[in-house]
Amino acid sequence: MERETGAREGLKGWLNPGKIGKFGIERLAWLLMRLTGLGLLAYFIGHIWETSHILDGKAVWDKSLEMTQTTEGHLFLALVIGMCVFHTGNGIRLMIAQMGYGIGKAERPDYPYKPQSINMKGKACIYATLGMAALAMWYGMAVMFA
Amino acid sequence: MMVLRESIIMKIHYGTAIGALSLTVVHILMRLTQDFHESLAYENVIANYESVGYALLLELLLILISVHGFNGLRVILLEMNQGPTYEKAVTIGCLAAMAGLIAYGSRTIIMTSMGMV
Repeated sequence: MERETGAREGLKGWLNPGKIGKFGIERLAWLLMRLTGLGLLAYFIGHIWETSHILDGKAVWDKSLEMTQTTEGHLFLALVIGMCVFHTGNGIRLMIAQMGYGIGKAERPDYPYKPQSINMKGKACIYATLGMAALAMWYGMAVMFA
Repeated sequence: MMVLRESIIMKIHYGTAIGALSLTVVHILMRLTQDFHESLAYENVIANYESVGYALLLELLLILISVHGFNGLRVILLEMNQGPTYEKAVTIGCLAAMAGLIAYGSRTIIMTSMGMV
């Protein structure tokens, strides 16, 4: 079977800000879900590597901890907290939507063809998730910089 | 090669997400039982690992997050490109990376909890 490659935009399509303008906050949530997922996976791999330093003794452990005990390290961890909260909140929204809640009832498609599933409930959840991520980052920084 | 249906894989994805979320909350609360910086002191971390319950929690968390994370990566990579060879390579690559990370993380947990430091 011949493959259709012309419609595939790849990473350019992901990061195109025009798509967010065109498709709204749901598109931003779609993009952030993927970016935070990749970011958290990278952090997790780094975390497993960093914690393995415990096997090399106290001196190596303390030196490895120093990486995150700086202002930049704290800011990085605050970003990780924000990514984690957004990924979790948006993931829960997606699970609930896939179970069929909050996406409206199916009805005949009439002009202007607004999909029932893209409604204010979903948008409010995305804004709330972004707000919770910001609050969690603020709390995390308050703890780390205390 | 055994092939799981995507619907089953997504159920595993959601199940591991909920499990990882619950255990991550416990993992973070352990850091807040005392001063954050103090809780990361070498002796305190070793004591955490030497508690069998907490070591089991860490092992389970490692498995759940690895499965969820690498399946998420697989889904993203399959969204970006398709084809039988590519899809098989991505699936095998993600499974291998997942197994490698679980093995590496388990080594830390097992050796530390058994006092081999």
